[in-house]
Amino acid sequence: MKAYLSVFRMRLRMETQYRGAVLGGVVCQIFFGLILIAVYRALYAGKPQSLPLAHVTTYVWLQQAFFRMLLSSDAELMDKVRTGGIAYDLCRPVHLYGFYYARILAQKLMGSLLRALPMLVFAALLPEGWGIALPASVPALALSLAALLLGLCCVCAMENITMAFTMRTLDPRGFQAMLNLLMMILSGSLLPLTLYPDSWQWVITLLPYAQMLDAPIRLYTGEYALPQAPGVLLLQGGWTAVLILTGMMLWKRNQRRLIIQGG
Amino acid sequence: MNTVRLYIRSMGILLKSQLQYPLSFLLQTLAQLIMEGGEMLAVVLLMDRFDHLHQWTPGDLYFFFGLMSVTFYLAECFGRGITGNFPSMVRTGQLDTLLIRPRGILTQVLCSAVDPRRIACILVGTVSLILGSRMSQVEWTAAHVLLLTESIFCGFWLILGLFLIEAILCIHSVKSVEIANAITYGGRSACQYPVDAFPRSLRTLFTVIAPFALVMHVPASRILGKPIFGWPAWTAWISPLTGPAVFAVMMLLFAKAMRFYRSTGS
Amino acid sequence: MSYIHVEHLSKSFQIRKKREQGKLLREKQTIRALEDVSFEIEQGELIGYIGPNGAGKSTTVKILSGILTPDGGEALVGGRIPWRNRKEYVQHIGVVFGQRMQLWWDVPILESYSLLRDIYRVPETAYQKRLGELTEALNLGELLRTPLRQLSLGQRMRAELCGSLLHQPEILFLDEPTIGLDAVSKLALRDFLRWENREHRTTILLTTHDMEDIAALCARVMVLGHGRKLYDGSLQELLHRYDRTRTVDIRYDADGILPTLPDSVAVQREGDGLRLTYQPEKLATAELLALLQQAGPIREMTVQPQNIDHLIADMYREMGL
Repeated sequence: MKAYLSVFRMRLRMETQYRGAVLGGVVCQIFFGLILIAVYRALYAGKPQSLPLAHVTTYVWLQQAFFRMLLSSDAELMDKVRTGGIAYDLCRPVHLYGFYYARILAQKLMGSLLRALPMLVFAALLPEGWGIALPASVPALALSLAALLLGLCCVCAMENITMAFTMRTLDPRGFQAMLNLLMMILSGSLLPLTLYPDSWQWVITLLPYAQMLDAPIRLYTGEYALPQAPGVLLLQGGWTAVLILTGMMLWKRNQRRLIIQGG
Repeated sequence: MNTVRLYIRSMGILLKSQLQYPLSFLLQTLAQLIMEGGEMLAVVLLMDRFDHLHQWTPGDLYFFFGLMSVTFYLAECFGRGITGNFPSMVRTGQLDTLLIRPRGILTQVLCSAVDPRRIACILVGTVSLILGSRMSQVEWTAAHVLLLTESIFCGFWLILGLFLIEAILCIHSVKSVEIANAITYGGRSACQYPVDAFPRSLRTLFTVIAPFALVMHVPASRILGKPIFGWPAWTAWISPLTGPAVFAVMMLLFAKAMRFYRSTGS
Repeated sequence: MSYIHVEHLSKSFQIRKKREQGKLLREKQTIRALEDVSFEIEQGELIGYIGPNGAGKSTTVKILSGILTPDGGEALVGGRIPWRNRKEYVQHIGVVFGQRMQLWWDVPILESYSLLRDIYRVPETAYQKRLGELTEALNLGELLRTPLRQLSLGQRMRAELCGSLLHQPEILFLDEPTIGLDAVSKLALRDFLRWENREHRTTILLTTHDMEDIAALCARVMVLGHGRKLYDGSLQELLHRYDRTRTVDIRYDADGILPTLPDSVAVQREGDGLRLTYQPEKLATAELLALLQQAGPIREMTVQPQNIDHLIADMYREMGL
């Protein structure tokens, strides 16, 4: 357990070192957020929806603030997997899955916190109709935070699966691009999932990609009412468990293959 | 003429090297196709929900989207040397090998890379452009075709000019080059929608500072028969020229930055 | 006037230091890379340019090849100022950076060459003639259709050399060309440089850390340290000036014999023999031999001059580098 904790802490510290890059990234992300909101405002002006505009702007800001969480983050680790440098890690007396899980988790956690805090402060200062709205209620806030944590675990599990696949394919770049695209489209980065056609909602909200950021946001805005919350959290937890188990299985198979083939 | 010949020969060599890894190339191209397809899907879904954006019908919006997509990815395809290679050339000192050759630096940078995978995005843009013009019943007169071509051509140079901002900052070893990306990629995201959808400040930004609106929206809205800004018809022919003008200014600034590089080393 | 004329050349850089704790702004530090360097080089000379890391060698090469503009001083290469009118100037020079490749990675080197022909606007007949000559001299014939990435380091360096000489430059700047090469490749490279220098009277300025290169190729060397020129003259003279110690390895017939020697000779046990280091200035070789013979019958003995690398290291030390 200690090994996982120490890799987790090390990555947390590393992430805080790129403060200059964070600032540039935050400015960029804010600008993108403003553009998106301007478009949605213009669209709303023409045809108001049952979904309040404030929900959409809140969705955009939370999405932008936690943008880094969804992004495949660990280029160094990916390179290691691609070039076979991973063989060194195989020699360590740790469970590889847990080792990488801790590493990715630390990176995503610190990376998104560093970016999210200044952005959310900025978004809170914007006038109504542009900025982020308050959470639907205090319990809603608490639930959405819990859901966010579960979502984070879910993303990490997903990224670990991507990596496990990467090891098996000869040309990972194309493959990774595909998986990242799936993530972009189905997680709500491209367009808030709430704005997808109503008839699609029941399918896309069931998929694992919706558990990462979409579910916490909907709990925050109150679109998922409090009585629905246990179901939502259960779904999130279920997917996370499934993804973790799948990932562990894939890694175990990879590990065996690596040892047999000698890398 | 000699420079054009050099450019074509360089492209030949680069394409040949990329095709050394055909499977990788194919998969990455496919990924690009899905990516731009996804962007278009977002517009389609928004139109499905909202029906229109101000006076613009879905067809108009597909037209604007296609125009931006074709233009932007043409620039990404051929401007790869500026966005992709140049920053690392400055960092590693590889730029020195360009300085010892009897050709312009910018020429050589543009000759140093091409990104043919972007063809997939350009394809999506073209489909969107055709779909949009069908739905909005655009009359394809010679003048309209010419105006569209001019807009794409000028937009290409505008975007290359904006890419140069990043290169210039790189030479001055500025750390956060993302700020430069905000205006280029932000411009692309914003100006795939007609500029009059935006509040004043953003409208000014994309008309005066990064004139996407002058280069693309003025001629495109003329072609669609709903000119923005209420300007007379002939302006649609003049305003796109701001694109090459931006490029010219950036080229001068780039040359100035290169003088700085040569007197400081890196 | 000489082919290369450099007078009072100087250049300094500003580097940003790491931010110290408690300070808001990072301090800037000025590094003087070149200070008041002057020299003349005649057409057709083959010159070695040496000095420890950070002495300003690369800065000189970069200024003379038009990549950098100096802060002060003059330089004329073939009557042209390198940092004015860059495009016209570089048409007449060739540069090889030992650690930077200028050929294209994934394509056969012949295609790289024909692209370089277009870049330098070399007429077709001149190009064919030059290419034929260079491929023969560099023994590249069979490699022309191979992509650069499949070549060994030595082959790659030969290919690079060919590429930078296609336009028949008047002068060739070489920045550590033999770094990382094996013995065979090094020898081939030296032969080629000698050939190019002789056949075309190409002036060659060779920057290197490899003293063997210098000894094999250059009649004249310049030593640079801390941005200043410390020595300019023949290699023989330089060696002579600093070559003050000799080593003697000696074994006596009987074990355990220890000759009585003055304090200026250092004695060291090496296996069953002795290693002595002495300075001919202080103790003449004849005297030393006499002393050694007095101690007993000698079975085996060798006298060696100092290793050239040690010598240069001593020299740098003495010059305070």
